[in-house]
Amino acid sequence: MRNPLADWINERTGYRAFARTFSDQVMPGGARWRYVFGTTLATVFLVQAFSGLMMMLAYSPSSNSAWGSVYYISNVMWMGWIIRGLHHFGAQTVMVLLGMHLVQTLLSGAYRKPREVNWWLGLALFVLVVGFGHTGYQLPWDQKGYWATKVVTNIMGGAPVVGPYIKTIVVGGNDYGNQTLTRFYGLHVGVLPVLLFLCLAAHVYLAKRHGLTPPAHVAPGREENYYPAQTFRNTAVSALVVAIMMGLVLYHGGAPLDAPADPSTPDYPARPEWFFLSLFQMLKSFPGRLEWVGSIVIPGSILTVLALLPLLEKVLPWKVLHFLACMFLFVLVGGAGYFTAAALWSDAHDEGFKEARRKADAAEARARFLASSPQAGIPPDGAGFLLRRDPFTEGKAVLEKKCMSCHVLDGQVAGEQSAADLTDFGSRAWIRGLLEEPSSAKYYGKVAKCDGMAEWKKTSKLTAKELDDVADFVASFAKIPADITPDEWLSDETVVKHPGSEPFQKECGKCHVIDGYTEGGVRDSPRLFAWGSPQWTERMIRKPGAPDLYGYLDPQFQMPAFGRDQLTEDDLKAMIRYLRGDYPMPMDRSSKAASPEAAGNVPAAAGHLP
Amino acid sequence: MTRRDLYRLGSRVLGGAIKLAVAVPALAFLVSPLRKKVAGQGGASDSGGSMETLTSLSQLKVGVPRSFPVIRDRNDAWVTYPSEPVGSVWLIRQPEGAKPEVIAYSAECPHLGCAINLTTDAREFLCPCHTSAFDFEGKPKNQVPPRPMDRLDVELTAETDPKVRVRFQKFRTLAEEKIPLA
Repeated sequence: MRNPLADWINERTGYRAFARTFSDQVMPGGARWRYVFGTTLATVFLVQAFSGLMMMLAYSPSSNSAWGSVYYISNVMWMGWIIRGLHHFGAQTVMVLLGMHLVQTLLSGAYRKPREVNWWLGLALFVLVVGFGHTGYQLPWDQKGYWATKVVTNIMGGAPVVGPYIKTIVVGGNDYGNQTLTRFYGLHVGVLPVLLFLCLAAHVYLAKRHGLTPPAHVAPGREENYYPAQTFRNTAVSALVVAIMMGLVLYHGGAPLDAPADPSTPDYPARPEWFFLSLFQMLKSFPGRLEWVGSIVIPGSILTVLALLPLLEKVLPWKVLHFLACMFLFVLVGGAGYFTAAALWSDAHDEGFKEARRKADAAEARARFLASSPQAGIPPDGAGFLLRRDPFTEGKAVLEKKCMSCHVLDGQVAGEQSAADLTDFGSRAWIRGLLEEPSSAKYYGKVAKCDGMAEWKKTSKLTAKELDDVADFVASFAKIPADITPDEWLSDETVVKHPGSEPFQKECGKCHVIDGYTEGGVRDSPRLFAWGSPQWTERMIRKPGAPDLYGYLDPQFQMPAFGRDQLTEDDLKAMIRYLRGDYPMPMDRSSKAASPEAAGNVPAAAGHLP
Repeated sequence: MTRRDLYRLGSRVLGGAIKLAVAVPALAFLVSPLRKKVAGQGGASDSGGSMETLTSLSQLKVGVPRSFPVIRDRNDAWVTYPSEPVGSVWLIRQPEGAKPEVIAYSAECPHLGCAINLTTDAREFLCPCHTSAFDFEGKPKNQVPPRPMDRLDVELTAETDPKVRVRFQKFRTLAEEKIPLA
């Protein structure tokens, strides 16, 4: 088959002759399966380069866009999950193959003269691949990558003398953020690939110059050209490895993506990738002061010993050296295996770890749900705010921390109850219960100096039907928009014509003032205009001692005020929305039934507030 | 077939399989924006279906074009921007009794997508980029634009002072036909 274009190019470049220097290489002892590692590694490197290049078209390295862009790659873009999955499992495959390649080279003594330089290049490639792993792990800017990077760079910072300076340079400052991402990204897609390419080209050149290391005893006459016998073996194993990678991608549904990085997480259980678990576990055996021995001296010594191996033949007889090298390898593999097993065993028996991991998984699921929900979506200031503004996550947490030392929620209270039950606060059911039995512990029974409602109940002449109507009426206050005055509200005919309006005016209005509607005067009491609405609750939390709220009580009986120094604007909004059940939840019925807040009062998922 | 032939064939087939395993997802990944679901700058809340309220009829003077921003949530790939201007629309009220009562034009030039404005004397529309000019009926006044200005669907509510509602859509530029973008 003649190909005129190929001929034309060949005449001018001589590429066929060059290719033939590979394919016609003579293999003493013939083609063998054991020679496949180099080519297979090269194949996976190519897959990594290609899938990485694809992701560069969609990835955005900054602390507020990285997670979102990775989420977009994995969950929205067509087959993005396969591309990212291949890259993720490809990285682990490289580690495995490289380990096997190294072990094989060591066992066969292939580092001996004249191949010393190629052995060193191999070790350099190993270091580069570890660098790829560390820098790539952090790029999604998820919890896992964030905390792992923090640990690794702090290890770097623990090195004597220069450590702290190197760490600051790599991290781009003392804190982890945009500069860390841009630097790691630059290393991962620019610096390391160039170094890898140079080392790899030299490695391949030398491998070709020295030829493959033949087995010790070659039967005469068993010579074969590289192509096609060895090529076929290489391709077959490469195909098998890529098939395994693809299988892992399909089985796991792509690469994992943890919740967005959150530096304020108190208990994220950071663990490295499985191939570093042994080092991670070994660090536990060193006291903090000597940590650098475990993290730097030991791995550094192992590398140094490996690098010196080919030179040791000058001082030791080959048989002794080979025996020692094999023993060294045996101890290394055994030690790594032992520490890895110990790490897995200790995590599997650590309830604290399991609980922290369970929380982290829940955060991950919630973040992914919010990112995909039309009611939420990733905000412009970054995926980190997905959970930080989420009522169900942050609102609940803030409420538990700030309010539950006095208030009850879902039957739970942290301290001694001295305030009302906030479960379904502001709902019709809550109000109806209050009108029925104000002195119950659920309402004001345990609240000092708040006995006005109980006193009213003693003399109230309202029928059950009228109480129902009043409850309906007051429940409607929560929907009064923030920009409406009492006058504007009253100008809407449906308000005064509401069946609950008359009994409300007659009895509640004796104490509770609403300008232009009720007089009050019998007793001091908070104003009820827009009661239970976000703006009312916000004021109640910020300024409970305001004249229109509980200012009439002595300060020691008032609810403590939570100012902006204690409670951020985002936290307050999230907390109020949580109380109102105003947040999106997955459509899964079972999970909705499991959270009474969501099934509660105001319709859940009432759109997102800015 | 000899063993060497088998090796050659096997290398080709398996090598091809490896290349396909990477190339197929990569191709899909590259052409991802062609899928409607993924279209970055035109996600779910940005599609042409819904009507937007821009103003009320009494705000418009007969024969005088006025421009109104279209404000809605915008999806830009992975980011959701809550209510921000995503484009603008020219509204011209027609004389009493005319049907329709209000004409709406997209302010995006059908030539190359710049924003159409009024000339300084406010007598016709002019695109600042390549001088596409249109009269108030949207008809081209020179050879630059490929088609008239893009009319948008208008709907008036049934109130005493009706609200003007417009279906905001984008169309393919340079085409002689008005082809809505997904």
